[in-house]
Amino acid sequence: MILELDGVTARYPGAERDALTGVTLGVAKGELLAVLGPNGSGKTTLIRVALGAMKPAAGVARVSGRPAHEWDRRALARVAAVVTQREETAFPQRVRDAVLLGRYPHLPPFTAPRAADRAAVRDALAACDAEDLAGRWIETLSGGEHQRVRLARALAQEPELLVLDEPTASLDVRHEMALFEQIRSLVDARGLAALVITHQVNLAARFADRVVLLSGGAPAGAGTPANVLTRETVERVFDWPVAIQSFDGRPQMVPLRRVLPSHRSS
Amino acid sequence: MGRSSLRRWTAALLILGACAPRHRHPRLVRAPSVTDDAGRTVTLAAPAQRVVSLAPSSTELLFAVGAGRQVVGRTTWCRYPPAALSVPVVGDGLEPNIESVAAVHPDLVVLYRSPSNGAALTQLEQLGIPAVVLRQDRLEDVARDARLLGTLTGHPAVGDSVAQTLDVVTAGRPPVAHVHIAYVVWDSPPIVIGAGSFLDQLGTLAGAQNVFHDLRPASAPVSLESLASRNPDVIAVVDDSSAAATPSFAQRPEWKAVPAVRAGRILHLPGDLFGRPSPRAAQAIAAFARLLNTAK
Amino acid sequence: MKWGGLVGAALLTLTLAVVLGPTRIPLGELAGSEIVRDLRVPRALLGFLVGGSLAVSGAGLQALVRNPLADPFLLGLSGGAGLGAVGAIALRLPGPWALPIAAFAGALAAMALVYRLALVSGAALDPRVLLLAGVVVGSFAAAITTAIVSLSEAEQLRNAFLWLWGGLSGASWTTVGVLAVYLPLPLLLLLGSARSLDLMALGDEPAGYLGADVTRVRRRVYLAASLLTAAAVAVSGVIGFVGLIIPHVGRMGWGHRHRTLLPVSFLGGGVLLVLADTLARTAVAPRELPVGIVTALIGVPVFALLLRRWVRA
Repeated sequence: MILELDGVTARYPGAERDALTGVTLGVAKGELLAVLGPNGSGKTTLIRVALGAMKPAAGVARVSGRPAHEWDRRALARVAAVVTQREETAFPQRVRDAVLLGRYPHLPPFTAPRAADRAAVRDALAACDAEDLAGRWIETLSGGEHQRVRLARALAQEPELLVLDEPTASLDVRHEMALFEQIRSLVDARGLAALVITHQVNLAARFADRVVLLSGGAPAGAGTPANVLTRETVERVFDWPVAIQSFDGRPQMVPLRRVLPSHRSS
Repeated sequence: MGRSSLRRWTAALLILGACAPRHRHPRLVRAPSVTDDAGRTVTLAAPAQRVVSLAPSSTELLFAVGAGRQVVGRTTWCRYPPAALSVPVVGDGLEPNIESVAAVHPDLVVLYRSPSNGAALTQLEQLGIPAVVLRQDRLEDVARDARLLGTLTGHPAVGDSVAQTLDVVTAGRPPVAHVHIAYVVWDSPPIVIGAGSFLDQLGTLAGAQNVFHDLRPASAPVSLESLASRNPDVIAVVDDSSAAATPSFAQRPEWKAVPAVRAGRILHLPGDLFGRPSPRAAQAIAAFARLLNTAK
Repeated sequence: MKWGGLVGAALLTLTLAVVLGPTRIPLGELAGSEIVRDLRVPRALLGFLVGGSLAVSGAGLQALVRNPLADPFLLGLSGGAGLGAVGAIALRLPGPWALPIAAFAGALAAMALVYRLALVSGAALDPRVLLLAGVVVGSFAAAITTAIVSLSEAEQLRNAFLWLWGGLSGASWTTVGVLAVYLPLPLLLLLGSARSLDLMALGDEPAGYLGADVTRVRRRVYLAASLLTAAAVAVSGVIGFVGLIIPHVGRMGWGHRHRTLLPVSFLGGGVLLVLADTLARTAVAPRELPVGIVTALIGVPVFALLLRRWVRA
């Protein structure tokens, strides 16, 4: 297991209730795990605890067997890469330079990027089908292009674990499908472990090996998509009536209308 | 003011004038009118009897023209002549507190000419308190303002004689300069006295040539390099305190590039006589000449 | 190529600063001149060190507070230094070094106070609170300074304000020596944080996931930048625009990676200040202009031109 969470409970300073309660999960090499849950279910907190940015109040998060908050941040960044939900662009820079930031955990202090680092940047851009973007300014990219560049930066870290927080948040169908296919193929081809945080039930069901459902910070189900994503569970967690159908052997959810349209014959 | 009250005023003044210790021509004093250093015309209904002076130089001048007993307010820094110390303090000279000025019911306020006194002037005008704006940088200014203050305070003859004494001093043929001098008023950055200052004049009349005489303002920041290359024989500093301590800049390494500083040729000018242009110019010049001779 | 140009410009301005001055000294006599040896050379070197330090400090702070408008003097240091200087003059502190030492102490006190105020939530330095605390502490120090000025004899304190506007007239081999010993530590601290500064432009959380220890880097950068600025203000007063403009010019030409940007800023800041000071000394000789005015007069048009070109590109 590259990443393990064992009975993790976490609470922000000054908050009245736990953001996470007793969450247990694990991601292994060559596996794509999706953490599913509605808004405010503690998904982003889960990343913080898993990567040691936040210390759990109870339980433990381990990366490669070592408690996450004990890792040196640079060493951890060589093992695990995170594509956060949003980031800032305070100063303009080109795509090539932005992806090079992914090599920073590997660079010794006071040294210039080496040939190997430039090669890693090229490979990462190629893997994300973003080579033609290398000379562009970050601010001129579309949402889909930017997401590919950030994935490339994460790959330039040459991690064993890839964590993505709502990676398809602002993408249309074509781009969200393309991104998930990309992640899936990275997992299959390179043996990466991937943890994808999303509220897109159908995408998670189509691509993930296993899913963990979160509800109000507490686990509401874990296992293969077919086992977890039953109508009863999904309705309870997302608080909305749904129908579940099978497609390609995976469950797919159709949200139902509560107020049915009145049919008028013309 | 009615005609009869004016006559009564005039009569009172005539009596006062007769009692005054210095000689005065008992004549009809008309409403005094002058043009001040800001170019404003100041006309008083009658000579001022309650004067607030908001600059050390004008306080000294008021006492010199015989109006000392009419001064009812001064600044903290007006300490000459010693008699001035018994006059109540009304605050500062720059951006003065108009309320405390008005509280002593002046019929004339002498303001130092400075941009930061613009608001004070407006306020005084709104309160109907006459104000005269003066600034003395050179001895001619002192002479002019002596006449002006003499007129405004009803001592035109004394003002005139003070001015004439100064005119004689300034018109005097300066001796051949035998010392090159630089007046350093501040060290970081170096600020020196230029031709616009009374110190330059006093020095010339005492036989010292200001190496920065080519600067027209009263004072200006200069580069230390110019001071070093113009190589004055002595550096003059004006000391506030009577103790003539070596100025601290003389110990700084960059100032050692000035030969006079390196050799310790520092001339201490006492602040009460040289700190501002005063009607005691003749006395100052004599003292200056003595200092130059001992410094040689 | 660009590097060569920059190093060439640095050497050229330093040469100009030594050759030109209010006194005309023939080229052949430069080597033997006391004025050149004791005044011009140390002044040129001090100008370079101060300009470089201000620009590096500005580059670091802009990345720290993630605001391209940040200037080394935005964080209250100039207020503290001014209070120290005016206090020293009002109290008539004796000794040739009273003014710079008091200004340095004032700047450090302001830095400590701003730092303490910005540590609102535990050990993390919040950049927004840092900016706010800097402005507040600066205004408070300015208020006390004005109170002192209005309560004491005006003449001398007007001169203190003149000192605050900046100038290199205090340059000597002693000040150059002190700075040469003092500056390497904060400069190396900043250079050592160069990568983390690159990462922090993305925001705290992404920077942390890319290996930056944001909390520690932020404290280190704030301390190093403040130490640079405090030393600069102690030897030369408040010289504006260098710390604001030079990092931007550097980013336009060299990109925003701090490993390049910091050395480029040092050289660029040195060039701008030495050039400005040469003008300040010679333009109205024997008089001297406050160098901060000249940095603005040269810096702003150059910056405006570059900005136009850069926005068009």
